[in-house]
Amino acid sequence: MTIDVFWRIPTHGEPSSLRNKLHHRGDWSQQHGDHVVHKGLSGGHDDGFTNLDYIAEVARAAEISGFQGGLIPSFPMTDEPWAISSFLARETSTFRFMIAFQPGFLNPVVAARMTASLQRATGGRALYNVITGGGGPAQLWWGDVAPHDDRYARTTEFLDILRGVWKGGEFSYQGKFYQVENAALPVQLLGQDFPEIYFSGSSDAALASASKHADYYLSWLEPFDQLRDKFDRVKERTAALGRKIKCAVRVDIIARRTEEEAWREVRRGFENLDGAARERYKRFAEQAGDSVGASRQRGNAPKELNDYRDFIIHPNVWSGLSLLRGGQTQGIVGSYEQVAERLDDLVRLGADAFILASTPHLEEAYRVGEEVLPLVRGHDSTATLRAVG
Amino acid sequence: MSAQFFWLLPTAGDGRYADAQQRIRGERTTDDAYFLPGVTDPRDRNFNYFDYLHQVARAVELAHFDGIEIRNDPEGEESWIVAGYVSRASRNLTVLTEFDASRGSAVYAAKNAVSFQRFTGGRFAWKVTVQPNAAARRRQGDFVEEEGLYPRIDEFVTVARNVITTTGYDFNGRFFQVLQGGFQGPLSGQKVPPVYFSGSDEAALKLSARLADVHVFNALPLEDVRLLAGRLEQYAAQAGRQVDFGLRIDVLARESEEEAVFDARRYAEQSGQGTQLQHAGLWAGLTTSTTGADATLVGSYEQVIAQLAAYATAGVNHFSLGAVPSLEEAYRVGENVLPGLRHLINSANQRAA
Ligand SMILES: Cc1cc2nc3c(=O)[nH]c(=O)nc-3n(C[C@H](O)[C@H](O)[C@H](O)COP(=O)(O)O)c2cc1C
Repeated sequence: MTIDVFWRIPTHGEPSSLRNKLHHRGDWSQQHGDHVVHKGLSGGHDDGFTNLDYIAEVARAAEISGFQGGLIPSFPMTDEPWAISSFLARETSTFRFMIAFQPGFLNPVVAARMTASLQRATGGRALYNVITGGGGPAQLWWGDVAPHDDRYARTTEFLDILRGVWKGGEFSYQGKFYQVENAALPVQLLGQDFPEIYFSGSSDAALASASKHADYYLSWLEPFDQLRDKFDRVKERTAALGRKIKCAVRVDIIARRTEEEAWREVRRGFENLDGAARERYKRFAEQAGDSVGASRQRGNAPKELNDYRDFIIHPNVWSGLSLLRGGQTQGIVGSYEQVAERLDDLVRLGADAFILASTPHLEEAYRVGEEVLPLVRGHDSTATLRAVG
Repeated sequence: MSAQFFWLLPTAGDGRYADAQQRIRGERTTDDAYFLPGVTDPRDRNFNYFDYLHQVARAVELAHFDGIEIRNDPEGEESWIVAGYVSRASRNLTVLTEFDASRGSAVYAAKNAVSFQRFTGGRFAWKVTVQPNAAARRRQGDFVEEEGLYPRIDEFVTVARNVITTTGYDFNGRFFQVLQGGFQGPLSGQKVPPVYFSGSDEAALKLSARLADVHVFNALPLEDVRLLAGRLEQYAAQAGRQVDFGLRIDVLARESEEEAVFDARRYAEQSGQGTQLQHAGLWAGLTTSTTGADATLVGSYEQVIAQLAAYATAGVNHFSLGAVPSLEEAYRVGENVLPGLRHLINSANQRAA
């Protein structure tokens, strides 16, 4: 079994380096405070391009560089993955669109038709990252009032219906959240590949849903032992249902020719943090929702921001990434060889797939595809490395 | 505003000239060889209906329509996916996307709409439909009773508009809830998709009076349009609003009336429809399974131009035209009907001004 490697699509613009956020692609710029609207792609004037033109560049860079495709996240301030995927269907050739979405926001019968159409539009290149929401104010912002465990029950019902409709014939279902009566896909939409399901969520409720429906259980990077336990638990629970599940890790990497250069990126970014960012770090714990996964990540963080090295929790693992950009905290930092070794460590503890990312996503897709991926052995520990370069 | 002309994109298949059978054009649906063994067929399974839809969308733009209307046909491709797919292939077309308010969360629909607006420079528009048949609704996982259909659209559009235009928006309704909703940064300040709504009953007119930017009449005779438009105008005035009028109609236009009538009869026969010539070129019984209009205007180019221009004098300024086969007819109508029609409407408007 070989390892699938995905890239990630930045749906929130992005700075051209982790060192500082001043130069920003897309129309999100932090030059004059958070979220100032600028026309055009490079800011300042309307150049006739949109953020989608940059996203298209990243998607093509990912497919050219050997990635399966990319995860397209979905947050209140980001451009939407269903839209991005349908717009870029014709503009890419092998790129697989991993759509992050919360099932609760879509009618499952409509979602089945959307997905089948997207499969037809892309030649079967759609797959899901099923997310179920982190609760708190953000959940209400989306218009979702369901409590944590109900949301996962709803996710399960949604996927029950999606699979039921996909099979063909007429499908009826009587759930707590959804009902359908004699639902069916149009004939010409039948027979498409069911989208592979990557599933995110660390709580018990999440595991219950994942073990029933997921092809891949997807986790952020966590301390390696903790991750091994989690993957083991997921695999046990799934096996108990007579199914098999694979595991995947979503992790940012900072890889350079030498380890020293890689840490220099981190140090520069850390030193350039402004007062607002430091303030946000302090407040972060207070704004937590009900996400178990997020608190598992937070649990590892130091209370004070003194030295970037305080955030090194494992050889080549830095847990301060959310300081330098939004999102999850732990990333792999090191030379090309070291990063590949850590990825192989993760394979040994149960990972079958990766979703990697690095800023800026365009140039880094080439770097990681050219320098790091050729060094990853995967399950084949006897593989001898080809000379790179 | 000068009149706008849209073309209907059939999402569940199309026909051919002189052959009314519904087909998923461009797509091999069986393994049977399509050509005789003596001729090589290079296609394999490399194309499907999306390649055809893409061609129609290009044709619509090249033939100088102002927009494309993407039908929400439960038996066809999903309209939002088609909308994204064809948007990237066009520069200036308004992409009028039809969907049902049962599709999911209003906030999520608004958020997707915002990305559509960002990616197209504000060319996305909504046509919100209702499914009147309860069994058909349940097939779509929609168990709302008939009584709730318009109130749901009302909430859907209200919530979507407000999260697009404001921040800190709260709403607690029967179908949708939001707390502190609204978009930030580049997702804020995007154009609310113009809302098109259709229907001829009182409830539909009243809903449009409150909510719609454009109310679309489905292939009604001219007098009916005049009557209903007058009523709608009155309701809208009571609500302190103005609503534009649209006409969704199929056209079967040929160089001569004789050819048009011949083709119309053949189509009616092949598709098993008894047709009666209602009056003045509007064939009430003549419909296609793929375009969704309730009637077809049949006649020479000049006749069809004159009839459509007459609707314009009744206040209609959004025309959504359709015909089978969609690709060929987009060019035909674009080349033979639109220029004369635009000229006639514009000069009438200038005289009026
Ligand atoms: C790899 C990964 C990717 C995620 N991507 C998103 C996302 O794009 N949008 C979002 O709102 N939440 C995202 N989440 C968060 C999940 O929706 C959910 O809030 C989180 O997993 C908490 O669930 P839990 O309480 O079961 O841990 C992601 C989570 C993981 C692990």
